[in-house]
Amino acid sequence: MKITGNTAKIGVTDYAAKTLNDVVYLTLPPAGQEVKQFDSFGTVESIKAVSELYSPFTGTMTRSNPELANHPELVNISPYESGWIIEVSLKRLDEEKKNLLTPAQYKELVKSLAQEHH
Amino acid sequence: MKRTSLYDFHRKNAKLIDFAGYDMPIWYTSMTEEHMAVRNRAGMFDVSHMGRVNVLGPDASKFVEHMFPSDIANQSDGKCVYTLMLKADAGIIDDLIVLKMTDSHYLLVINAANHEKDLDHIRKHASNLDVDIDDVTESTTMIAVQGPSAIDALQPLTTTPLAAVKRFTHVSSEINGCRAILARTGYTGEDGFEVILHDTGAENPRKALAIWDRLGSAARPCGLGARDTLRLEAGLPLYGSDLDETTNPIEADLRWVISKTKGSYVGSSSLLNRTLPPRRIRRGITLDSGIPRRGFKVLDGSGRDLGSVTSGTFSPVLKKGIAMAYVPPDSSQVGEEVEVVVREVPLAARITKFPFYDSSTYGWKRTNRNTI
Repeated sequence: MKITGNTAKIGVTDYAAKTLNDVVYLTLPPAGQEVKQFDSFGTVESIKAVSELYSPFTGTMTRSNPELANHPELVNISPYESGWIIEVSLKRLDEEKKNLLTPAQYKELVKSLAQEHH
Repeated sequence: MKRTSLYDFHRKNAKLIDFAGYDMPIWYTSMTEEHMAVRNRAGMFDVSHMGRVNVLGPDASKFVEHMFPSDIANQSDGKCVYTLMLKADAGIIDDLIVLKMTDSHYLLVINAANHEKDLDHIRKHASNLDVDIDDVTESTTMIAVQGPSAIDALQPLTTTPLAAVKRFTHVSSEINGCRAILARTGYTGEDGFEVILHDTGAENPRKALAIWDRLGSAARPCGLGARDTLRLEAGLPLYGSDLDETTNPIEADLRWVISKTKGSYVGSSSLLNRTLPPRRIRRGITLDSGIPRRGFKVLDGSGRDLGSVTSGTFSPVLKKGIAMAYVPPDSSQVGEEVEVVVREVPLAARITKFPFYDSSTYGWKRTNRNTI
């Protein structure tokens, strides 16, 4: 995610994008929908599977990425930039931030997940 | 976990999954790109996990006559026949390809997931006949080279003129100095060959790896993910998803494999007694949006339950969700409007003919040979 002031652009991590393989379809709520921290707000589909999308923050969804309808592959190509999925107007940024993993902690998690698979 | 002769390549280059007890590649880089490589140029698949069983002996022709609903024994040597293994009630035990070598030698290529079950069935029916059943799966390698440029990819490795091998026939030859059977068959809808390499398996992979490596200069390695989307687009059923022991050949829309002239064989009396239209029939379904998955409900316009999806995916060629499902005959007309329930939301869909793609642009019958 990328936070600017009180707004966050939310997407999937590079690890998730790689694990999904080709993203071909997304189901997203309409603008104005409330999203809650750690609750599912939509789905992302690869050729093989459907995965839930979880919001890292509570807030109101202001828009989804208009490019994804025709170019869902942006989620794979550029998960942190042009492949963002929804934009959320944040309600409790400071308190909810504490519940999230730091990039270093996430890296450790991914490492342990990768080991489980070998 | 079992491994094929090409495991060393897969381990280094692919995402692996357990498929019928084998460590197999699901994809190397991208399922979509692998899929499109086969539609537009050439792809290569390790299909060594499929079972390869020789039926040898004076009664071999008698055996295939008794076992399968198709005309096989009266074919010429070198013919490949897609057929079914049936129970007495005509339920499908497996779908397979039978290669006729000679009147006293046939090679059966069966599904990996049905390997043991099929062998039991085969041995049971062979017990009164003068035939030997010889399972050569582990001592051979099988590679499928598929796509409009498949011949170009394979030709440099053999002196056999490949273009002269007709579709659904095979020749015995050499590939890169390795004894091989070259069958002009496949499971993608495209032109191509399925190559069975003798004397090279997981225990002695050197020859298979050398051939895979040489083919790699002109064909893209493709995993089982692309194999599944390719066969679905082509309208080819997958055993375990679209076919099982509770489906019969008529329901499965495989009536064409049943000989009109053959006498008695396993399942024949049950098929002959079937004069009524089937209760349900396998059909293609296309969605405008959403991706159908196995188990999703199919409804008609008034909400009546027609059946459920047996396999579904996103079609890289059509860029739409496509599926196979069993529906009642009165709702099976091409163009019929139906709905597929995707996570509680009914989405507009319609019954579509197989293959899903335009046959003048894609597939082995294509007339437009311009590759992209």
